[in-house]
Amino acid sequence: MQRPTGAGIDVTPTAGPIIRAAGLTKRFGDFTAVDNLSIEVQPGTIFAFLGANGSGKSTTIRMLIGLLQPTAGSIEVDGIDVIQHPRKVRDHIGYMGQKVSLYAGLSLRENVDFYAGLYGLTGEQLQQRWGALRERFSLGDTEDEKSEDLPAGIRQRAGLALSTLHQPRVLFLDEPTAGVDVYNRGLFWELIQDEAHAGVTVFVTTHFLEETDYCDWACFIDAGRVIANDTPEQLRRRYSVGYRVELTLPAGHHDRCAAVLSAIGGPLTRTVNGVQITVPTLEPRVLDTLEVATTACPEAQVHIEQAEMTDIFRRVLTETAKGT
Amino acid sequence: MTDLASGKSPGPHPEEAAEESAAPEALIRLRGLRKRYGRRIALNGIDLTLEGRQIVGIVGPDGAGKTTLIRSLAGLLEIEAEEATALGHDLRGDVTAYKAHVGYVPQAFSLHRDLSVMENLRFTARLQRLPPQDFTQRSKELLARTGLTPFVDRPAGALSGGMKQKLAVANALLFRPQLLLLDEPTAGVDVMARAEIWAMLERERAAALIIMSTSYLDEAEHCDQLVYLDGGRVVATGTPAALRAGVAIELYRAWGDNPRGIAQAARQLAYVDGARATGRFARVEVRRQTTPGAARVLHDLRALHGAGVRFAEARPLDMESVLLALASSRAWQPASTQREAGNGKDAGRSR
Repeated sequence: MQRPTGAGIDVTPTAGPIIRAAGLTKRFGDFTAVDNLSIEVQPGTIFAFLGANGSGKSTTIRMLIGLLQPTAGSIEVDGIDVIQHPRKVRDHIGYMGQKVSLYAGLSLRENVDFYAGLYGLTGEQLQQRWGALRERFSLGDTEDEKSEDLPAGIRQRAGLALSTLHQPRVLFLDEPTAGVDVYNRGLFWELIQDEAHAGVTVFVTTHFLEETDYCDWACFIDAGRVIANDTPEQLRRRYSVGYRVELTLPAGHHDRCAAVLSAIGGPLTRTVNGVQITVPTLEPRVLDTLEVATTACPEAQVHIEQAEMTDIFRRVLTETAKGT
Repeated sequence: MTDLASGKSPGPHPEEAAEESAAPEALIRLRGLRKRYGRRIALNGIDLTLEGRQIVGIVGPDGAGKTTLIRSLAGLLEIEAEEATALGHDLRGDVTAYKAHVGYVPQAFSLHRDLSVMENLRFTARLQRLPPQDFTQRSKELLARTGLTPFVDRPAGALSGGMKQKLAVANALLFRPQLLLLDEPTAGVDVMARAEIWAMLERERAAALIIMSTSYLDEAEHCDQLVYLDGGRVVATGTPAALRAGVAIELYRAWGDNPRGIAQAARQLAYVDGARATGRFARVEVRRQTTPGAARVLHDLRALHGAGVRFAEARPLDMESVLLALASSRAWQPASTQREAGNGKDAGRSR
């Protein structure tokens, strides 16, 4: 199994997928909401599950966490057969739904105590765990506030903290950044990345396609079917020209730089200001060659342009519609 | 680089002849607009003047008051204000006549699910007393533009999310309103329909004042003007370019094999405000007050060899930086100490 690049995770690829769905199907009468969906999620990775409202996304998640029985197919989460043991899986995982489930009228701390009770976390163990989470998620000042008074960003972080209270190995987050401002969205993704770095597997859905770049893997669903399923890097390679690298060079260096870069292969353009080359991925060979070129010419300025994820997914949809 | 509607680059909108050349330009003037729901203060003194034919984007986090502001402008709420004038009408008074000039698309689909596409449009036309010939022509035009012509007889409830929203927009445009209000019209809509809806709005830009709330950065970028709301107040307004110019941040990218490691290392640099891994690079923000200058920053980033930095570049500010700067400048106070009439600006920063 290909290990995602650029993720900085230290999980051995041979551990096997921690979430596995095969041939997952859900029909409501005549309507097929999810159609023969198969996905695998590697441990300690952030798996982005993307799709518009009505694409089958929510139905899929509900099946994955044992809230809905599939019509066909199999699901395994952290070694548990979800179809046979739906309640067991829900005790085992962390879940954060679209509307953060904090009880109004209770303070944040009271919510923590309530959820801790559900998970069987008490006493010293709870104190330590909540203390650590409170610190890491910057929730310190807000414990005593009524949950309905918490601003959106803090609510989101609180929701995430509660979902990890019992230290599950797998987190399911359903649109965790909806309704949150850009600043808090960024903070939130840092927290998710920290969790993954610590070995937690995060299955996350989002409407903000650019958030795919925070993740190790992206699966795009449309009309109940998977239409893209790969690393962000590979999606960029397949559905865009990749990366356009521009080197702005002082006079006299253009020829030499162009000669070095031509080793990469691929379209190379000479411009008034320097050299431009388009590469499908930033693989080691490409990076090494670029580094040689810029080391030979220290005044070179590098600019790299890449397609936005929105454009990439638009292309995925267009090509799927064409049947390519 | 990115264009929502087509391959063309947007640029400033041209002064095309408006379809409604006789209609006066929409003018909205709000001073001290307040709205409270029981104990909760949704709008805490909005001061805003909007005029001309353009697309105005209302941005800000959930709970900022975006929906309440739009609903106030739609004449749906009882409000308090020192002044609240729209299209020459006082929003604090009888808004019946006013609403005939306003198209409104709420966040949730609010058309009749069991009526067909055409029946929905006809229903609206009747409510608006649109003359039959106008209706025939206008509906044909809008159906063609939305790609809904093949679906005219389909019940609205059976349309996909994107098509529902397109129908809602077409419905609001039926009687050529001077003012078009949309509350997150593309939220959760598939990526193709989002572009199509945006294209529809761009076409109307020369004919109406369009005010829409959005949480999509690419849509905010393409608005003529932005209004940033937080805590029920206007924090900032301006063109995207003007707001960008006011952001005292420098943006860099450090590329390498281990963007998360790079982000962590970059955060150790004293002058770095924030660094985050995304894709194959770390996005690094430096506050202008503390920057040692681009040359030094680039040098320091490149020197993070241990973290695997291969190149660093200086970047022009993007909408994310702008909204980040606006979001992090707001202060949050616990409810227990919140002052009702306070403006929140002088409370301390919370990070």
